[in-house]
Amino acid sequence: MVLLLEHTPVVTLGRSARPENLLATPEELAARGIELHEAARGGDVTYHAPGQLVGYPIVDLAARDERDVHVFLRRLEAALIEVLAGFGIASERVEGRTGVFVRRKAPGERERKIASIGIGVRRWVTWHGFALNVSLDLSAFEVIVPCGLQGVDMTSLAAELERAGCDVPADLDARVRAAVAAALRARWG
Amino acid sequence: MSISIELPALGESVVEGTVARWLVAEGEAVERDQPLVEVTTDKVDAEVPSPAAGVIEKILVAEGETVAVGAQLAVIGSVSRAAPEAAPGSAPSAAAEVVPPESSVTPMSASAGEPKATPVARRLAEDAALDLAAVEATGAGGRITKHDVLRHADVRSAVPAPRAPIAASVAGRPPWAHYELQDGDRVVAMTPQRRLIAQHMVYSKHTSPHVGTVAEIDMGGVAALRAQHKRAFQQTHGVALTFLPFIVHAVVRALRDYPALNASVMDDAIVEKRSIHVGIAVETEKGLLVPVVRHADRLSLAGLAAAIDDLSTRARSKKLSPDELRGGTITISNPGRMGNLYGFAIINQPQVAILRMGEMVKRPVVRSVDGEDAILIRPMMHLALSYDHRALDGQPANGFLFRIRELLESAEVEL
Repeated sequence: MVLLLEHTPVVTLGRSARPENLLATPEELAARGIELHEAARGGDVTYHAPGQLVGYPIVDLAARDERDVHVFLRRLEAALIEVLAGFGIASERVEGRTGVFVRRKAPGERERKIASIGIGVRRWVTWHGFALNVSLDLSAFEVIVPCGLQGVDMTSLAAELERAGCDVPADLDARVRAAVAAALRARWG
Repeated sequence: MSISIELPALGESVVEGTVARWLVAEGEAVERDQPLVEVTTDKVDAEVPSPAAGVIEKILVAEGETVAVGAQLAVIGSVSRAAPEAAPGSAPSAAAEVVPPESSVTPMSASAGEPKATPVARRLAEDAALDLAAVEATGAGGRITKHDVLRHADVRSAVPAPRAPIAASVAGRPPWAHYELQDGDRVVAMTPQRRLIAQHMVYSKHTSPHVGTVAEIDMGGVAALRAQHKRAFQQTHGVALTFLPFIVHAVVRALRDYPALNASVMDDAIVEKRSIHVGIAVETEKGLLVPVVRHADRLSLAGLAAAIDDLSTRARSKKLSPDELRGGTITISNPGRMGNLYGFAIINQPQVAILRMGEMVKRPVVRSVDGEDAILIRPMMHLALSYDHRALDGQPANGFLFRIRELLESAEVEL
């Protein structure tokens, strides 16, 4: 089972969150209409808002005899990379940094992260999940150091399509949602 | 009796974890399965539940500390509050310790109702749709091993097992057909054209039962004819005389005798077409294109050569109109030389036949010369036909291919 949804603007702190990666005070966040929460997931700090597809796959890893949380993370990444490829965007993993990064075309380009992942497991049942930036306003990421990664820009599918000179379809969010559902169903459906 | 709480193995590559937060304190009584501690590793947050009821005797790892998998996190001492069932009269001993259930010292293990089995055994049983509960266990600690599953499967194979319907494996991608990305892999998105080709190929293979058959053709006569007229042809018609127009010329003539190959399947009917439009597969930068020579049977060899030259040139310079890519009734693929003996092409739907030219090479062949067998060196070419077995059977298909061979070997073409 997977819950696919979008959150109202919110900053969440994962279990490994370091305070210095939150660049705004709770009051400043409130002034921008952004809530602040702690979450029982792995990872540092992140930001959710409409235009970002959030997926919470609830998978019983024990029942599937797949008791390996890293394998689960890698498969989530693979699903998202597959989805992005379907929209013509080549993306990849970066060793040691869970998440999905856009493949850089030139050596000098800054790293761009398009999807973040942070999960929890309780008795081998997963919760929490991933956030794929589709069309959200990226400027709000400036209030945090996303996932505690310095020197990494956050990007979105819409931004990458524009960068590649492609049209951004009006129904992008719905199409991404359908593609993500299919990619997850293929793996855990 | 005390139980040690250890950092559970969360995966093969997970070697350590960080204690994020203790949910209990030293001296606190806990229930079995009560979450004790949250540990994080990479991007995963997990809870370690208590394997038994008891009291937290000691917490050994502080919040924020990182320890290896298997490291001791805490010690639970058992409580002696479980004595209600003690026989009346027997004096309860204050010092007596209740032995906690030992089966679940490994946190996060499978639920108690499930039979114990090794991961390999479990996967085998799942693949073979075996119920593990029915398998006799011989492994250590009553675990079902791979051999147990195999032996059970052997015994069971005498009994016919219900099979999964084939349709289920056709719809959607089965789990075993997945490739999981590895580090260093390059993911390239399909171009729209690639996707169209992929769709068409899958549809064709899925729709038509392809049968392949090959003829070996002596192209000596055609080669001699071509060599003889090459220069004059170029001067008169302005295009080079290649072998392809000779093939098309023979194919359209053979189709007159075998109209079953110039057809389409429409539901429960077969449509034999009066017009003959030949598709010519052309490799371009953007991928495979198949422009169509319309009414190829009405064209002379020179007309075919000119039409093929024009279409393939414009296919490469992307100047074909969509109309010129539609309406073919049969297709010929000429994938070029370079190690291409023969191969079977996929039918271009909704047609029922496609021919694929192999490499032309000189070979020693046995011929009868003045009533004696002799070995001659001849330019030979394999021509492979793929046909739709829904629409026709082997007899007309082989007849058609044999007729093409006859026409090419006799090389009776007006130039």
